[in-house]
This record gives sequence, structure tokens and C-alpha cells, in this order.
Amino acid sequence: MRQEKRAYKMVLPFLTIIVGLVVYLVGTNVILSFTTEGGKFTLLNYVEVVTDPVLPTVILNTVLWTVGSVGGQILVGFSIALLLNRIDFGEVFFRSILLILPWATLDVVAGVTWKWMYNDMYGVINDVLQNIGLIDQYLAWLGNTDLALPAVVIANIWKGYCLAGIFFVAGLQGIPKQLYEVAEIDGANPLRQFIHVTLPQMREVILTTLLLTTIWTINYFPLIYMMTGGGPGHATETFATYIYRLSFSFLEFHESAALSNILLVIIVFIAFFFLKKLNEGEGV
Amino acid sequence: MKKSTRTNLGKTISYVLLTALSIIVAFPIIWLLFTSLKTYPEIYDFPITYFPREITFEHFGEIAGTSFFKNFLNSIIVSSGTAIMSLILGIFPAYAFSKYSFKLKRPMLVIILLLQMSPMVAFLVPMFSLLRNVGILDTYFGLIVSYLPFTAPITVVFLRSFFAGIPKEIEEAAKVDGASLYQTFVKVIFPITLPGIAAVGIYAFLFTWKELMYAMTFMTTQGKQTIPAFLQLFVSQYSTRWGPLFAGSLMATIPPLIMFIVLQRYFIEGLTSGSVKG
Repeated sequence: MRQEKRAYKMVLPFLTIIVGLVVYLVGTNVILSFTTEGGKFTLLNYVEVVTDPVLPTVILNTVLWTVGSVGGQILVGFSIALLLNRIDFGEVFFRSILLILPWATLDVVAGVTWKWMYNDMYGVINDVLQNIGLIDQYLAWLGNTDLALPAVVIANIWKGYCLAGIFFVAGLQGIPKQLYEVAEIDGANPLRQFIHVTLPQMREVILTTLLLTTIWTINYFPLIYMMTGGGPGHATETFATYIYRLSFSFLEFHESAALSNILLVIIVFIAFFFLKKLNEGEGV
Repeated sequence: MKKSTRTNLGKTISYVLLTALSIIVAFPIIWLLFTSLKTYPEIYDFPITYFPREITFEHFGEIAGTSFFKNFLNSIIVSSGTAIMSLILGIFPAYAFSKYSFKLKRPMLVIILLLQMSPMVAFLVPMFSLLRNVGILDTYFGLIVSYLPFTAPITVVFLRSFFAGIPKEIEEAAKVDGASLYQTFVKVIFPITLPGIAAVGIYAFLFTWKELMYAMTFMTTQGKQTIPAFLQLFVSQYSTRWGPLFAGSLMATIPPLIMFIVLQRYFIEGLTSGSVKG
């Protein structure tokens, strides 16, 4: 009982300040989203947001951006973790480059560097691709409505795979070695070992990583902002860049509040979906 | 015999692949370095050159002539402030979550985990009006406050895992010796977890060091802005000045890079045990 009281004493200041602050911020958004400029109650902000002709593009872009980035990050992160798990020396060296360097790079710096590499006249990517014969003329990667989204997704895979890699390295180290020895005695080849030992053992880690990278990717703003600003047109516009644009370029505070609330609901929904999956796993 | 040859071959392939991947992954940063050392005519040369023909430090000189070092100092102030305040806020709840059991523990923990997923952009306008109403818009303190809802929850999650790693016997021994909770904390727990606490603080520091959206929105005076807000100006202006932008980018990347590499063990430990196993 004394312990319980002490615990609350330690937790409450944090909860009052931080949760209080967040409740205030969400509350402000809710009020903004349901009021007119004059402060009268209205549903029109939501109607405007939902009927906004740009919204379908924003939703589609956010889905493609998230699925592409998360898929790529998980794939690259997993491959690198598997490789790092196999070597005996030089681990710190490879880890510093493969798991730390892109992560430590400032988002702004990653944005301008990739923007420069994609440049339609002086970009190294065009030069390399032309030299190996994949393209026969320079492409305006970030200026082309079809290429811009894949281009920023590739940059984001580079920027963001490190966390997935770190989680997977830790996950792989947690798998008991005996499981592989048993599988080997049973005559399982490396592929079957991967499918029947590694993947099931990594289930929880993979789900958690998926949850965190998915939500971080949906929320991730600076890379797109630096590379394309959401353009050309709305070709790379996601929820994050569009809410920013509504707020501080178009000064539509009430609409941006409505869209922010929709985004919050989506995020909470995704979080609970994954948490439910994780809890299901514990019962098995 | 057959098996060991197979493992050796596997190892060699792993090293070859890791080396190839390292070159690809490091390339953007190498490219950043090379470009920052090229003269302007060479930056805009066609076809492009890979290694700089002649090395120049003119872009570094140019960036030194701007407000860059002032912005660098601003970044240090805001990042340190955020780190210290996140630690002060987070350290006690983290301890309570790792050592005590209480009725609302699980729901409270879920709330904290959800907090770290909240989209910064959704709070941009309300945070702006809050800071303006309180009168701390365009101040270091205001910017620091705006980061706390995002850094403080991570601090709790990280520190909880470090505290949980302290064997119960050590604390019990201190209690038997008649130490109060406060004494136990200062004399026993704090020294043991100091590396972890430092790593968590630096994590909050680096979060702030990199952050762009709030930095460029809540700091309206250019002289008060942090580095990301300063660097983005080079792009949003009419034509991008790549040379000084890259020189500044490189200098801004060095502090976090060193911190990450030196402290990687703690980051990895804190992140994985805090988020994956938690």
C-alpha cells in the first residue's frame, strides 16, 4: 500500500504535465475542428476536408509512401541483421556504417543530399544509371509526377531502415542456439531453418518493428518537405505534409485541425490493431 | 569437415555483401563530403566529376560567414534544455514503472507508449497558439516545452528498462544498511545507471538536434533558430546554394554521428529492451 502511494507520487507529476499538455493540444484541435472562424459550432470543416479533391491523392500517397518505406526498411534491416549475425569480427565497424550512419544523419541533411543526388542535370544517380545503361537520358526524378514518390520512398528507406536493423539484430541474438542445432539434426537446410525457426521466433520483434516504423513513417515530415515540399503538384503529398501546408501555407487552421483529428484516429486504430496482434501471440 | 567449409564460405559471402552494402549506404554521405570540397564551377560541371579535381574550403569559409555558429549554439542550448527537462520529468516515473506494482500501471504505460506515436504535425497549430498565448513563442524555453510531449515518453520507456536491469539485492542491501529511498537513489541506483541515463539524455538531445518542423515554425527570429531551420533556408530560397549548404550539413552531422557511434551500445540496449521487449 505504501509502495503504491509512492509509485503514484512518482508518476503523477509526469502524467499531469505531459498528458495534461497533450490533452490540451488534442482538445484545442477538437474545438478548432468543430467551430467556424467566428467560434460557432459547425461540421463544415469535416465536410470540406472529406470532399477536398486533394484528399484521395493524399490518402493514396500516404499508403504508398508508408507501405513502400516500411516494406523496404524491414527488408533491408532484416537482411543486414542476418548478415551481421553471421560474422565474428569487424562487427562494430559494419554496425557503425550500416546501423548508425543513416540514422545519425540529420533529416534535413538527408533530404538535401538526396535532392542533390536526384538532380536532373548534375545528379550522380542519373550519371550512374546512364553509365550502366539503365537509362538513356537524364531523368527529372523529383520533377516528374510518376517518379517523385518512388524517389522519396527510396531516400526514406535509406534514412529509416537502421531502427528496424537494430531491433532485428537484438531479436536474432535472443534466439536460443539449440533450436538451430535441433533443426540441423532433423536435416533442415538453411532456408527451412529460416522459415521454421528464425521467423516464428522473431514474430514479436517483427510485429513491434512493423508497428513503430509504420507509425513513424506516416508521421515523418522533414524528408519529403526538403526534397519536394509535397510536389510536384501533390505527387508526394502525404498527411504530414498536407496538414502542414493547410496550416502554415493556406492558414486553414480549422480544416487542418479536422484533418489532424482524422490522422490521430487512424494512428490510434493502427496502434491498437498491432497491440491486439501482439497480445494474441502471447496466448499461443 | 563439409560443414565447416560451408560456414567459412557463408562467412566470406557475408563479408563481401556487408562491404558492398557499406559502400552503398555510406555513398550519400561521401557524396556530400566530396561536393562540399568542390569549387562552384566543378559542382556545376557536366558531365559530373566524382573525385574533386581541386579541393577547396571556400564553402566552409562561406558558411562560417553566416549565422551558422550562432545557430549551432542555439541548437546546443535547445537540445541540452530538452534533454535535461525530459530526464527530470521521466526519471521518477521510469523508476516507479520498473520497480513497483500498482493498480493503474498498465493503462498508464499504454498511454505513455501511445504518446510517443503521436504525430508532431497534428499538434503544430495548437502548440503554436499555446506558446503564443503563454508568451513563450520564439523563445528557447517555448521550443523546449514543445518537444517534451515527444521526448519525455521515450525517456520513461528507455529508463524503465535500465532500472529494471538493476538486481533487487543491491537495493535491498542499501535498505538494510538504513538508507532512505532518496539515499539509495543518489548513492546506489544513480551511479549504476549513469551510462544509461546519459544515453537517454543524449537521445532526447539528438531528437531535438534533428527536428525541423517545430524549429522552423516556433522560432520566428532567424538568429534564434536551430540548425535544421537554418539549413532549410538555403533550399527554400530562390535557388539552392549547394556549396555552403553542404558544408553546413556536414558540420551539423558530425556531433550526432560521434555521439551515436560512441554510445551505440546503450542506444541499442535501451531501444530494444524498451520498445521490443517492453
